[in-house]
Amino acid sequence: MPRDTGLPPGTLMMLVLRVLKTQPLHGYAIAQRIHLLSAEELSVEEGSLYPALQKLLVKGWVTAAWRESESGRQVREYRITPSGRRELEAEVAEYRRMANAIGVLLDEA
Amino acid sequence: MAIVGEWIRRLGYLLRRDAHEDELRREMEAHRAQMGEPPAFGNTLRLREEARDAWGWTWLDDIVADTRFAWRTLRHSPGFALTAVVTLALGIGVNIGMFSFVNGLLLRPLYANADEVVVLDIDSTTPSGEGRDFSYPNYRDVQEATTDIFASLAAYATDFVGLDAGDGARRALASAITGNYFQVFSAPPAHGRSFTAEEDRPGAGIRVAIISYPLWEQLGSDPDTLGRLVRINGELFTVVGVAPRGFAGMSIPGPEVWLPLGTDGIFSAGNAERRTFGSREAHALNVVGRLRSGIPEQTAEAAVATVGRRLEQAFPAINAGYAIDLSRPSGPRLMFMPGAGRGAFAGLALLLMLMPVVVLLVACLNLADLLLARGHVRRQELAIRSSLGGGRSRLVRQLLTEGLLLALAGGAVGLWLSTWATKTLVASLRPALPVAVSLPDVSLDWRALLGTMAFSLLATLVFGAGPALALTRRAAAADLKRHTGDEGHRPGGVRIGNALVIAQIALSLLLLSSGGLFMMSAIGAATADPGFRLDGKLIVQVDPGLAGYDEARGRQAHLALIDRLRTVPGVEAVTIGSRLAFTAYGDSRDVAPSGAADPQSSSVDAAFSVVGRDYARVLGLPMLAGRDFSDAELSRGSGERVAIIDDVLAEALWPGEYALGRLIQFLDAEGPEARQPILVVGILPAVKHSPGNPRPSGHVYVPLGQHYESAMTLVLRVAGEEGERAMLGTVARVVRDVDERLPILSVATWRDHRDADLDVLVLRAGAGVFSTFGGIALLLAVLGVYGVKSYVVSRRTREFGIRIAIGAYPRALLWQVLREGGRITAIGIGIGLLLAVGAGQFLQGILYGVNSIEPIVLVTAPLILLAASLLASYIPALRATRVDPTVALRSE
Repeated sequence: MPRDTGLPPGTLMMLVLRVLKTQPLHGYAIAQRIHLLSAEELSVEEGSLYPALQKLLVKGWVTAAWRESESGRQVREYRITPSGRRELEAEVAEYRRMANAIGVLLDEA
Repeated sequence: MAIVGEWIRRLGYLLRRDAHEDELRREMEAHRAQMGEPPAFGNTLRLREEARDAWGWTWLDDIVADTRFAWRTLRHSPGFALTAVVTLALGIGVNIGMFSFVNGLLLRPLYANADEVVVLDIDSTTPSGEGRDFSYPNYRDVQEATTDIFASLAAYATDFVGLDAGDGARRALASAITGNYFQVFSAPPAHGRSFTAEEDRPGAGIRVAIISYPLWEQLGSDPDTLGRLVRINGELFTVVGVAPRGFAGMSIPGPEVWLPLGTDGIFSAGNAERRTFGSREAHALNVVGRLRSGIPEQTAEAAVATVGRRLEQAFPAINAGYAIDLSRPSGPRLMFMPGAGRGAFAGLALLLMLMPVVVLLVACLNLADLLLARGHVRRQELAIRSSLGGGRSRLVRQLLTEGLLLALAGGAVGLWLSTWATKTLVASLRPALPVAVSLPDVSLDWRALLGTMAFSLLATLVFGAGPALALTRRAAAADLKRHTGDEGHRPGGVRIGNALVIAQIALSLLLLSSGGLFMMSAIGAATADPGFRLDGKLIVQVDPGLAGYDEARGRQAHLALIDRLRTVPGVEAVTIGSRLAFTAYGDSRDVAPSGAADPQSSSVDAAFSVVGRDYARVLGLPMLAGRDFSDAELSRGSGERVAIIDDVLAEALWPGEYALGRLIQFLDAEGPEARQPILVVGILPAVKHSPGNPRPSGHVYVPLGQHYESAMTLVLRVAGEEGERAMLGTVARVVRDVDERLPILSVATWRDHRDADLDVLVLRAGAGVFSTFGGIALLLAVLGVYGVKSYVVSRRTREFGIRIAIGAYPRALLWQVLREGGRITAIGIGIGLLLAVGAGQFLQGILYGVNSIEPIVLVTAPLILLAASLLASYIPALRATRVDPTVALRSE
């Protein structure tokens, strides 16, 4: 089982799709990007990242290809697919709806 | 669609999983390299495993791993694995074999399109009260009026014919059919053609025939068989077709040969009413049809009923009360059951089906035994594995995989065994039928395969899951602490094992003793004294009526044969009789004293024979009183009615009185014989009527002149009793030379004929089947005894070691183990004897000449079991005496 990421369950895949939406990235870069974009609030451990990436591959939401990085290293780059984009939109919408509902509830309390 | 894509990707992964693994590894290495110091990346192996889970193939990996592990485990205990596989194979094999047999004979549709085939019946009787079938003109009228209902509608009649396919004439089952008969069953001939419309027409007399597939095989499976000539009822027919393989028509056994309806003058030649199918009054045909697709049964039923009413109106004199009914072919498919009259065959069939179940029961008990013993041995291993983190479900799954592997292996071997068992059964049945017949295919079909799978899985679940659950339920700690050597002090497992062995021994004894009873009955039949000498005698069975001979020509043929055979060198005497002594089949009469006040109540059922000159002398029967028939009485049209009776009938009719010169009458005879007073002119000693029946019943003989019977048996006494068989060829040739067209049903030595008697064959088949099953059960029971004893001895190694160390004699240990083995065997035998006596009660009703308690059987069978089981305990007992005390004690 993936260890605790400090993230609500299921959100990791959404975050990965989100950072891949702008550009293709390799595994390490994905982790870095999530860390940066979340103002260093969120950190993704490898133990969670790779199972999540495999799951995205199974679902067909991303594809992977080997490429040479700027530093001359062979890296495996993930690219979001059209169905991945649709999934991201759906999940973001769903997340917003949930977060709103939870927020309203907490504000009223 | 998304799901399909996902599965395609998963399958793709499965096919290239090594490459995927490698990619993942490289990717993680790259990741680690980029992270720099310190490498916070975790255990990559474990991470990879978790990532792999996403693809959803973990279960497959587990199964592969479980199977590999089970294979290794079983390979380490080949004795256990082999015993379990053999046990299962025997249990499953005999059951599948029997199932295929029963399936082929009783369950499997006789033809492929069984759901489309319907039969037409006439649901009425003639004004005189007899049942009737279709006449050809009526059939044709029905056919023409229902062309929109039936795709094809065929007529047929079945009868015995004299068939000579080049190996001598014999009695065979035949059907006269319309040419579209095979179309009804969607079963076109395997070779050649069907009959044409011209050949169908009654009276056409075109002599063509279609032979059954088995007959074709018997003739050498030769494609040139088409065009070959066969003799049927004395006439030559050209073979134009071969029926499809496995096709036996509407019933079992199926015909060996099919003729066109147009040969009606030859087919049923002996049956005057059937000679002409062409007449509207000859209600002799059965009608079967295939419905057009989409025609419901009710529509067809209404249509044929309408036609029936129209036929009644059109021909009121002939078709009065004509009502045509439509139904699915059903009811008993077996056309005739040998010995059905006294239920022997039905009883035997029931037993045949029960026996394999008993064998399976023994096999399952044995398997339970083995797994139980093994389970105890493995308890510690399981405890260790569970304490190392093996979950209970994982352990149960592991044990079940092992059981499943065994079951599948057992099932596979059993399947192979079953084909052998089926062949044996069919072979044992074939000669037990009164005529050579074509049986349907009894080879394996998908149902039998499904049955095998079901048996295997059931065996696994029942005998694998139980121990697996029980063993894994135990607290690991308790088992870890327990020394294996202490097991001997916990007798629970041993006690269950003993109970299982006792049950096995009891059931084996049941089978063995039943086999013994059959064997005794078979031996009794084979050695039964018929009342005269069988040696040195040949028999020739002829039936001129089958070739269309009337009484005058038939008598002529009989006499010509007697005269010609008398001149053959080596033949001392020849006589003729209608009913062959010493067979169960034949004519009989209700005999009563003439003029009795109440003839019905004083009547006696007696075998009836028409005999020729010197009948008693040739058989070697001494005349007890009176005289033989005179020449005048033996020639046709003699005046006074006379008879010779045997002493059994004389005693039954007039107990303690003198029978000679008294008058008898036949209550059930028809025509001129009916109720006529018949003078008793001689008394003969009794002969037995069947090898299987030790008690002779009455017999009445009338002279040749008084009664005509077409089917007769010539009896030849030959010089030099050893040479009888050598004369068969000569006699057969002479008979053919006398009249080439004469249907010869058999030429044989009397002894061979007796050995082919149905009763003898049924008993022999029964003895064979029961002994085989008994033997298998015995083998299983012995394996069971051996297994339990071995287990007990190995559990008590420490105890034996200590006892030897403190000075016990090895002989004493040997005796102790043997005594314990002997005790459970004795208990098993005791229970088995009760079962055997019960089975004997049942068999007593089927078998002649045996009692439910036969001392020989009830002593021999238990002795065999006792000896076998002592031998089975001897080997483990010997092992007990060879325990090395130092090794035994060090194993602590």
